[in-house]
Amino acid sequence: MTGHEFLSTYPAKLLEYTLGVGYLLLFIPFWRYVRGGQAVRVAATARRAVRAAGATATSWFTVPDGVLLHPGHTWARPAGDGLVEVGLDDFAARLLGPVERMGLPPPGSAVAQGSPALLARDGDKLVPLVSPVDGTVAEVNPAVEREGAWQEEPYGAGWLFKVRPTRLPSNARQLFSGAAARRWLEQAGESLAARAAPRLGAVLQDGGAPVPGIARELSPERWDELCREYFRS
Amino acid sequence: MTSAVAAEARGSWFQEKILLGMRPGEYLRSLLTPFNGVAAFICMVGVPLLLYRFYAGLGATTNLSQTQPWGVWIGFDMMTGIALAAGGFTIGAAVEIFGLEEYHAIERPAILTGFLGYLMAVVGLIADLGKPWNMVQIFAQNGTRSVLFEVAWCVVCYTLVLSLEFAVPFFEWLGLRRLYQPLRKILLALTVLSVMFSSMHQSALGSLFIIAPGKLHPLWWSPWIFAFFFITAVIAGISMVIVESSISHRIFASQLRGHHVDADALTIGLGKAGAVVLFAYFFLKLQGVIDNHAWGYIGQGFLGKWWLVEMLGFVLLPSLLYAWGARHRRADVVRVAGVIAVLGIILNRVNVSMVAWDYENPDHYLPSWMELWVSLTLVTIGVLAFRWIVLRMPVLREPADLAAEH
Repeated sequence: MTGHEFLSTYPAKLLEYTLGVGYLLLFIPFWRYVRGGQAVRVAATARRAVRAAGATATSWFTVPDGVLLHPGHTWARPAGDGLVEVGLDDFAARLLGPVERMGLPPPGSAVAQGSPALLARDGDKLVPLVSPVDGTVAEVNPAVEREGAWQEEPYGAGWLFKVRPTRLPSNARQLFSGAAARRWLEQAGESLAARAAPRLGAVLQDGGAPVPGIARELSPERWDELCREYFRS
Repeated sequence: MTSAVAAEARGSWFQEKILLGMRPGEYLRSLLTPFNGVAAFICMVGVPLLLYRFYAGLGATTNLSQTQPWGVWIGFDMMTGIALAAGGFTIGAAVEIFGLEEYHAIERPAILTGFLGYLMAVVGLIADLGKPWNMVQIFAQNGTRSVLFEVAWCVVCYTLVLSLEFAVPFFEWLGLRRLYQPLRKILLALTVLSVMFSSMHQSALGSLFIIAPGKLHPLWWSPWIFAFFFITAVIAGISMVIVESSISHRIFASQLRGHHVDADALTIGLGKAGAVVLFAYFFLKLQGVIDNHAWGYIGQGFLGKWWLVEMLGFVLLPSLLYAWGARHRRADVVRVAGVIAVLGIILNRVNVSMVAWDYENPDHYLPSWMELWVSLTLVTIGVLAFRWIVLRMPVLREPADLAAEH
């Protein structure tokens, strides 16, 4: 064999160009395939984040639809099995920041709307939080023991306890939902900003949301009093 | 009294740095493992064989001949060893030049692999050349029209750069701050030099074959073979880092304590790069075959089929596996693809320099057992040196002063 008689020049050129174009055409789906997994994941994460944030992604504090907000910054959400889930809202979670212990009412105990039901404890500081509904405690969230659940996902995995409600319809009339809930959180945020202006200017002016544990930033000595003022307890 | 204290201090330094904090007896006992036994056997036979080659010459130890002057020591130790050492410049360039800081954690092991790979390749080369004292001659020659001249200069310069890069963890280990601080500062410059020398060197190894279109099978020969050598070196670099880091993370897990590296994420990121480079290489090789008018050889005879095995099984398959593993975030699949790709590079270099080389000569070269044993010995010494260094120097773990800063 002399080696090079298989292909004359013109068919060779045709093959070369076909291969070149074919490569470029194939490379596009190949590259999309290799990168695709990531793009799909990012989009899914973004969708989840948007869902969790409800329509208030532009404001500091978020509240999803379907959550009933108490002015003391706790929320209630019918769970579908006749029980009502209770938790802290985004504002409370960030105002309070990480605490040593979140005391929950024992199952079977009675809670009343507007009366203290939860007790955040950090060192010698105690901050009670009120129950948004009347009823009997049916279940507490074991994940709360894990630090940060109610800090990171206050409306999701971070729910605190479930209540068997005694008079939910009349309780619900005292709670904010939808646009009213969002307005309420916005007002709370503005009030906090006004209070914070001398200390937190940098945080607010750069457009960032307040850091967790904002009460401690504002008033290192008496942050528990500040919390009680907002939590109406 | 003072000398006794000094002797004790020296003893503890030796114990701490060399014996890993063990007493001499304990240390020797810890060496009694099956792996070390096999390695010792290989070296006990291999090192005397290497010395015997210098005493008795190539004729007595190898199956090389006038028509087949390059054997395993060039085809495997040099061509393959250098390609597999390409991780040093691939990852060095990614971290220092392209700013992909997340790969910083695997930069040092990659450089160490490169450095040891080069050292072993140089030993293999010296075994092939003989008369090491004559090698300085090349620096006194003005052989600028010779590819071997380029190869020789590149291998010397790059080994020097690699040894300077490796000197950073070495001096950190000895605690010689005055020596490693300036080297850390010029690491970027060293990386630029290493990318330059090694890309020239990798491609120059391919250029050696440009003058032999009649001797190398047309499916492998191409006037662009230097470019193919460079691209496959990048593939080898990426794949070796994947394979080497997955092995070291398993074996040297204790070195990584308190050091949060998401090895899977790095592996998947490397897999993505490997998929794309292999995919492009596959089409470039086809282009090379058409350009060489060798299309008709595909599938013809043993070498035609063997070429298909290399291209489909060791180029296209790892490319698709890398792609699948990267998309589905399966680090284990990416690692399997890495192993196949590394085998593919070895296969390619062995094919170019031995299997498809001088393919029409009926008296085809087969290496002697002594050649193979010496090559095996060099690989074993490289692995042992890697382990010795990783267990002592800050290669996988962070250097003490940087760890304290965090």
